[in-house]
Amino acid sequence: MIHFLIPDLLLLILPFLIVVSRIFSSKRSLIPWYVAFLGLITIFVLLNCITVGETQLFLSNWKVDRFGILMREFLVLAALMGISFSKDYFNHTSDFTPRMHQLSEFMGTVIMATFGGVVVISASDLLTFFIGLELATIPMYALTAWNKKDSEGSEAATKYILMGSVATAFELFGFSYLYGFSGSMHFTDIAASVLINPSSPLLWISVLFLLSGIGFKLTLFPFHTWAPDVYEGAPTPVTAILSVTSKAVAISFVTVLVFGPLNGVKEQMAPFLALLAGTTLFVGNLGALKQYKLRRFMAYSSISQAGYLLIALLGPYEFALSSIVYYLFIYAFSNFLTFFIFGVIERNRPETFDSLRGLSKESPILAVALVIALFSLAGIPPLAGFLGKFQLFYSAAQNHHYVLITFAILNNVLALYYYIQLIKSAWVEPADPTAYRLIVNLRQKVWIIILSVAILLGAILPFLNDNIFKIINY
Amino acid sequence: MTLLNCLLLSFILFGIGVWGLLRRRHLVAMLISIELMLNAANMNFITFAYFSSGDSTAGAVFNLFVVAVTACEMAIALAIVVSMYRKRHSLDVNELRSLHE
Repeated sequence: MIHFLIPDLLLLILPFLIVVSRIFSSKRSLIPWYVAFLGLITIFVLLNCITVGETQLFLSNWKVDRFGILMREFLVLAALMGISFSKDYFNHTSDFTPRMHQLSEFMGTVIMATFGGVVVISASDLLTFFIGLELATIPMYALTAWNKKDSEGSEAATKYILMGSVATAFELFGFSYLYGFSGSMHFTDIAASVLINPSSPLLWISVLFLLSGIGFKLTLFPFHTWAPDVYEGAPTPVTAILSVTSKAVAISFVTVLVFGPLNGVKEQMAPFLALLAGTTLFVGNLGALKQYKLRRFMAYSSISQAGYLLIALLGPYEFALSSIVYYLFIYAFSNFLTFFIFGVIERNRPETFDSLRGLSKESPILAVALVIALFSLAGIPPLAGFLGKFQLFYSAAQNHHYVLITFAILNNVLALYYYIQLIKSAWVEPADPTAYRLIVNLRQKVWIIILSVAILLGAILPFLNDNIFKIINY
Repeated sequence: MTLLNCLLLSFILFGIGVWGLLRRRHLVAMLISIELMLNAANMNFITFAYFSSGDSTAGAVFNLFVVAVTACEMAIALAIVVSMYRKRHSLDVNELRSLHE
């Protein structure tokens, strides 16, 4: 039985369906948008209906397990939020850059990148793994340069594709040594060779290349410098999609690698991962302190979140996976909520902290939602972000990485400072009387309310987190 | 021709690619350097497929896929470079300074 492949196949077909429906409908028709929206919802519902008992294999290199299903749900949900957020940028200008065009092709590209993420999660040999990673990143380059009339967008895309291709080359070099070391492409064979011969120099050169390659994609410390430029130059919806989907794909890449083929040397790799995680979140937090542009600020914030995610990898298998999935869900909700609010603000105001001034007087709901989103990103107790961070630290604590956890918690204080800077602009500083009025349409209102409620209840309602923790922990 | 010689050759090729990427400031030259790095990895795969006792078809097939994937990547890269050239009329990366701290 291959019923577990149905959602994957649908996700693969959906981009083509969207583009074809665009050809057969009039120019202003909303049919492609509905096809994309309803298609993603259908896939999400199908994923929830599927019961995968044990790990299922298709042709020995397509693996579907509990973690895979949860990550698929996450990626589809992120794509759904991404296209809902992008829709408005095709209707009007924002932050004084020109309006974007070709909505249906844009949505198709986003869903293609999502499918790439699904391939990365399902891969159980190096070739599938590599193709999945490329399928997830190549659409991102095109999305970054989507707005042809915006010269900052093409500059950001140039920087992104140069850095991304170098990362690909490093990863490929690492893969080639891994193949040479084990004589096989398949993860189980590689894992077996790693167990037999854990101190081979070929293996460690390969690990070095793989870590630096993935460092670029996950924006880890010495390789993070491209991220703020790309996040600032790309169109805002693309920034939101990059910071959620692309980061999720990168962290699942590391997860699959560390708990799959490299499981035998996980203990020896732990100090490197701990060092990368610690420096990344420190540098991300330091960088965010002096920002005044909203999207650049979000770039540094997401760099430090990548550091937090990496901490969980130091724990044992079940704890690491469930905490990463849970944190990714919460991170996506908080990040998209922040971006929805920024989307409302930058519609006809410049994109800086100053544009937030007087938000509490002008639109109290938006100001409250902003507080919820940012406190969740910072990890303040009643909100879901706190539980997410707690689980990440709990996972690392299983293997006694207390120094790193203490360092991360101290860093959280630093993070709280800069998130509160943003809240101060919204709540304390007086309004600018010359600023344009805010316009919130129905879709934005609905999403802002849904996401705020999700963050508020995510930690309190037991069925949400039980789903994730029970499914993986059995 | 031994395994070590072939590995050294592809490592040197990779090194030339990295050096070119850091040294050259012309976008197309940088893309060529990246292509050199990717092909060094390809040569590694073929070397291992030729000399290793394991699954040698996998390594030989892998680089066909890599060639196809990098062709897609370079197509997008060139499209982006063209769209940037239309805006700025220059391909010097030192002039990419409108986004910075």
